[in-house]
Amino acid sequence: MSLTAERLDRIQPSLTIAISTVARRMIAEGKNVISLSQGEPDFDTPRNIKDAAIRALEAGETKYTDVSGTPALRQAVAAKFKRDSGLDYKPEEIIISTGAKQVLFNAMVATLNAGDEVIIPSPCWVSYPDIVTLADGKPVLIPCGQNNGFKLRAEDLEAAITPRTRWFMLNNPCNPTGAAYSAEDLKPICDVLMRHPHVWVLTDDIYDKLAYGGFKPGTIAAVEPRLKDRTLTVHGVSKSYAMTGWRIGFAGGPVALIKAMDKLQSQSTSNPNSIAQAAAVEALTGQQDTVEAMRKVFEERRDLVVGMLNRAPGVNCSNPDGAFYVYPSIHGCIGKTSKGGRKITDDEAFALALLDEEGVATVHGAAFCYPGYIRISYANATEELREACTRIQRFCEGLH
Amino acid sequence: MPGFSQRLGRVQVAASVAMTIKARALRAAGKPVVTLTTGEPNFDSPPQAIEAAHQAALKGDTKYPPQDGTRVLKEAIQRKFRRDSGLEYALDEIAVSNGGKQCLFNAIMATVDPGDEVVIPVPSWIAYAQMTQLCEGTPVLVNCPQNNGFKPRAEDIDAAITPRTKWLVLNNPNNPTGACCSAEELREIAAVMRKHPHVWILSDDMYEHLVFDGFTHATIAQVAPDLKDRTLTVSGVSKTYAMTGWRVGFAGGPKALIKAMVNMQGQATAGISTVGQAAAAAALDGPQDGVQVQIDAYKRRRDIAVEMLNATPGISCHKPEGAFYVFPNVAGCLGKTTAGGKRLETDEDVCLALLEEQFVATVHGAAYHMSPYLRISTATADDELVEGLKRIQTFCAGLR
Repeated sequence: MSLTAERLDRIQPSLTIAISTVARRMIAEGKNVISLSQGEPDFDTPRNIKDAAIRALEAGETKYTDVSGTPALRQAVAAKFKRDSGLDYKPEEIIISTGAKQVLFNAMVATLNAGDEVIIPSPCWVSYPDIVTLADGKPVLIPCGQNNGFKLRAEDLEAAITPRTRWFMLNNPCNPTGAAYSAEDLKPICDVLMRHPHVWVLTDDIYDKLAYGGFKPGTIAAVEPRLKDRTLTVHGVSKSYAMTGWRIGFAGGPVALIKAMDKLQSQSTSNPNSIAQAAAVEALTGQQDTVEAMRKVFEERRDLVVGMLNRAPGVNCSNPDGAFYVYPSIHGCIGKTSKGGRKITDDEAFALALLDEEGVATVHGAAFCYPGYIRISYANATEELREACTRIQRFCEGLH
Repeated sequence: MPGFSQRLGRVQVAASVAMTIKARALRAAGKPVVTLTTGEPNFDSPPQAIEAAHQAALKGDTKYPPQDGTRVLKEAIQRKFRRDSGLEYALDEIAVSNGGKQCLFNAIMATVDPGDEVVIPVPSWIAYAQMTQLCEGTPVLVNCPQNNGFKPRAEDIDAAITPRTKWLVLNNPNNPTGACCSAEELREIAAVMRKHPHVWILSDDMYEHLVFDGFTHATIAQVAPDLKDRTLTVSGVSKTYAMTGWRVGFAGGPKALIKAMVNMQGQATAGISTVGQAAAAAALDGPQDGVQVQIDAYKRRRDIAVEMLNATPGISCHKPEGAFYVFPNVAGCLGKTTAGGKRLETDEDVCLALLEEQFVATVHGAAYHMSPYLRISTATADDELVEGLKRIQTFCAGLR
């Protein structure tokens, strides 16, 4: 009998192992490696949030909480949804989990039966299809080309829906492309969804505070209130408040779905860390100035990175509206040979050669189900980004 | 709204949670409720854990942690296994999760295919069977009667194993009975397990430090080192250090199993809260004298509970070796009618009538796969415990 269950065997091993192994080896050898591969802000958690955690420690908030989170945090999340998106959720329509990832996991495991389909626009965070697969579902990827800003077209969504479609998952703004949808962009998508009442909607808005040039991401339940009773709106404190390590994500949705997710969570992890929940209350209800301060810095960095990448021969980088990633095409580099003599056969070869020859770690597009690109995170200090982009330019200039 | 997954339909909300919610509602209505349902110490977390969390927050230990746990915590766990059980685990043989519950969930989700069997001695914590069913596995329950101190007999385990058996679950001390197998009794079980090399052993030692009267806790990988390469040893800080809300559990086991569990966790939650991990490391490495204070209190309360319950008409209570539960037999109450006029047919009837007529919240034995019993938690202040027990005496004296 094999040790692992078939459900686990279905998950592909991480495609980034080769790159992270090389990066670790180079760092261990003392090489100067700039990593543009992380999905987390380089900022520290704001002080008011840490202070709230410390107050909770001193007040002895160290006991089990409700499985779905403390009443105080669910109340704070309700107020956040109202304030930021005009969405009304009651505390019983809200669940708190150990990271937004657990929200997605709960939703899929609680609802999917074998063979149920989940529509995912790609490029996408690989955890979306992985979690669907783990839950016996079938990911249905819709390619969203760079020529449309990596955004989903309504007609492509319509064509992908079948009687077996259970969910449509949207990440807005998107990891890895930074593509974002305004309320207006979402309208035609909502129109399609209105025609297919058997399809539930999961919108992962975790990056929505990080939007640039005055862009305002919309969210489906607000754009089309008639979809709200089949929409799960997912969010968290990780990206907006530089709180990745605290592991607090949350969602608002219809009470029956939230209850089902709570039931699953009660048998898998119970409540998220109680101190982190207290910190998240302060993040959502305390001062919001640091969010804007971080957003401004990210915007400057995005402009810097996009500008520098588009001066690297063979690279073509769109200027996205949100998140802290860009997703440049490196099609113009494929087929060439690097200065160090490496043949650039595909995006992984590009990323490996760039790492090995210039000490810049990125993630290749195949890891986001969309090859021919690399993902660059600009959640790094500005000077470090400038240096990294200079190295990328030099690397591309050396291709022949 | 469409239905949920079939797997979710196999899962129920734990009876202890349902009873706690009922008790809370009665209290909110102004009733003087005594709650003897919780599996949570009524002590504070140790000061060194609080201080470590405080420092972790302040120094910016707030970024994504490794999925398998921080190095600092894993090294503390390594020392703990060595110190408490003489067990040697390499760092890649240790995984950290959001509570001991997630360790179990990871292990079962990562290994149990539909139709695989999990042998569970009962009475048991409901989560083992629920997680197995969530994975479409079959729980195979092995009865452990009161006349054997609620402990599994080796020959009964032997008889329950089939070619489809994937796991044997051992929980020492046991929730809900407090029973704890001695090293000698574990050796007998180990002898049986040697005949069945295809079966893995999950030893849940969450209550390992809470044993009384000079009893020495043992764990199967320690008494049968030849079985260590198919044993998962699970523990955590929740019960020993009164750190339930922090949600830190851990497991030691063979590298391939730990790797599969970490892969599973990578899809469900990723790493767990960094401040919780820092606090857990400090609790494991710090002074252990607070633990003895708790052990003394639990022993005192166990003695009070057993004595008072055995002085109650219709009740017979076994004196357990450990944990903070007693599991009195209420067979003598069945077939009778309460002072309030309610006829008692099952332990659930006893449990509900006790709550409605005397405002004492307990959990019925059926929720732990054995009737007719009640589970009474002694993780309750002495005064409150005595008050609850007095009311049980009044309740039973009123039966006719």
